[in-house]
Amino acid sequence: MKLKNLITYWRTALTVAEITLRHQWNDSFILFAILVQPMIIAILALFMLRDLGGEYAMFVVVGSGLTGLWSSLLFISGNSINNERRQGTLESLVALPTPFEVIIFGKNLANVVQSLISMSSSYILAALLFGYTLKMVSPLLFVGSVIISIFAFISFGLVIAPLFIIYRGIQQWQNAMEFPVYILAGFLFPIAMLPNWTTPISYVLPPYWAARALHETSTGTGDTEKIFFAWSMMLLFSVIDLFIASKLFKFMLYKARVDATLETV
Amino acid sequence: MKTINNNLRLFWQGTVLSYVALFAWFRPVTYIASKILMPLAQMIFFTFLGSYASGGSNVDFYVIGNAIQITAVSGIFGVTMSIGGDRWAGTLAYLFGTPANRMMMFFGRAFMHVIDGAFGVVIALTWGALLFGVDFSQTNLSALGLTILVTTISTCGLGLLMGCLSLITANVMFVNNTVYFLLLIFSGANIAIDTLPNWMQAFSQILPLTRGIASARILIAGGSFAEVVPLLTSEAGIGIIYGWLGYFLFKWFEVQAKRKGSLETV
Repeated sequence: MKLKNLITYWRTALTVAEITLRHQWNDSFILFAILVQPMIIAILALFMLRDLGGEYAMFVVVGSGLTGLWSSLLFISGNSINNERRQGTLESLVALPTPFEVIIFGKNLANVVQSLISMSSSYILAALLFGYTLKMVSPLLFVGSVIISIFAFISFGLVIAPLFIIYRGIQQWQNAMEFPVYILAGFLFPIAMLPNWTTPISYVLPPYWAARALHETSTGTGDTEKIFFAWSMMLLFSVIDLFIASKLFKFMLYKARVDATLETV
Repeated sequence: MKTINNNLRLFWQGTVLSYVALFAWFRPVTYIASKILMPLAQMIFFTFLGSYASGGSNVDFYVIGNAIQITAVSGIFGVTMSIGGDRWAGTLAYLFGTPANRMMMFFGRAFMHVIDGAFGVVIALTWGALLFGVDFSQTNLSALGLTILVTTISTCGLGLLMGCLSLITANVMFVNNTVYFLLLIFSGANIAIDTLPNWMQAFSQILPLTRGIASARILIAGGSFAEVVPLLTSEAGIGIIYGWLGYFLFKWFEVQAKRKGSLETV
């Protein structure tokens, strides 16, 4: 995806994000993915990790929020193009003078931003139901990590959405992709527990660097150097993802416009 | 005799056709992803989380709990979708128009999911032995097999009730997913029941899976069949109650739908 397009059409992206948010608040499955499931995982983790002490509560809050973020990205952003096709609006969107990837960027922006609710709901749950005193160690760095994570997740989503529609075989694995990322990204336990051969896989996952930055800034377990490194990795992967996404969108639109296979892309 | 034969034929055909219809749009790869890899990944996630919480001890507790809980994939999602599928596919009206035995038709929808669910648990326990070293050397395997079967039937009982709810709500996936994830908390798969607050313990006792998971843990630890008989009897009883509740609801919906002419909006 070209950044120039995003700068030119930023108002369109924001309008798409607003409409997507309004639309999705009526979808009970989305409410489940961003609100109910992360809260249940938070309750489970708070019960399971309670012997480790109250300082792990913030770790659980951030980790369970990240599960909501990933599930939302996988199931909602991943299906963002497919849903347009099912509703019969894909043809109109492809024919618009606005670049198609800007529209999908706006949809992903809405998905990722609304997923942050899962972190807030887990925070409220841990504070009210479990009575933990939650302290954010580096609030400013945490906010910075959230902003960069949003960008990294949106960029990752821009790769997933066209992949799922171009290569249906990949989408069939969608259900099986949810928990492995919870595990490999270290959302709720350190990846040091996993076999060594899995570590390189974790390193190429943007959610892993997001988890590191958010955990380290919220619990104070990492120094500034480590946090900046995680930010750099997220930005690096975002650039790579945007480059891959631009190629995928080009390929998808070529098939749609030249081969006239939009409904069967 | 003819009536019995007809009913058995109806049961079997309903069983097979509803199961085939449910997975007709699936390819083997989707089945493997949804029914084998997803539950396996879920089991590994909670086992690692539990292992992290307990400092590496008590891994068996989490492996066994989550392996048995996997039966809910078939019991809750599969059964509900088989029952609800008749509404989504528009065949509910024809079913209500036939003189077919409703009990056979209704309970037949769950039969294949019992087999499928039990098979899923066996796969999960095998993975548990291979990946996490769960030791079955002291286990009464036939008693464990019976435990898996009873627990799966019991969970399908809850699935039948949920399936009926899918006939009156458009939010069935929300309800299903919520029930499935709540079972992860309340069934004792990941948290020892006696460490939960009293109201949560009470709620656990009226759910399927709770006693099945407890039985499996006792048997794998070397306990005898006699020790788990009371637990299995209660587990079966709970499943039967849920199944019958579902059946009565199904019958009631049919009466209401025919009386009000509201079949499509039941």
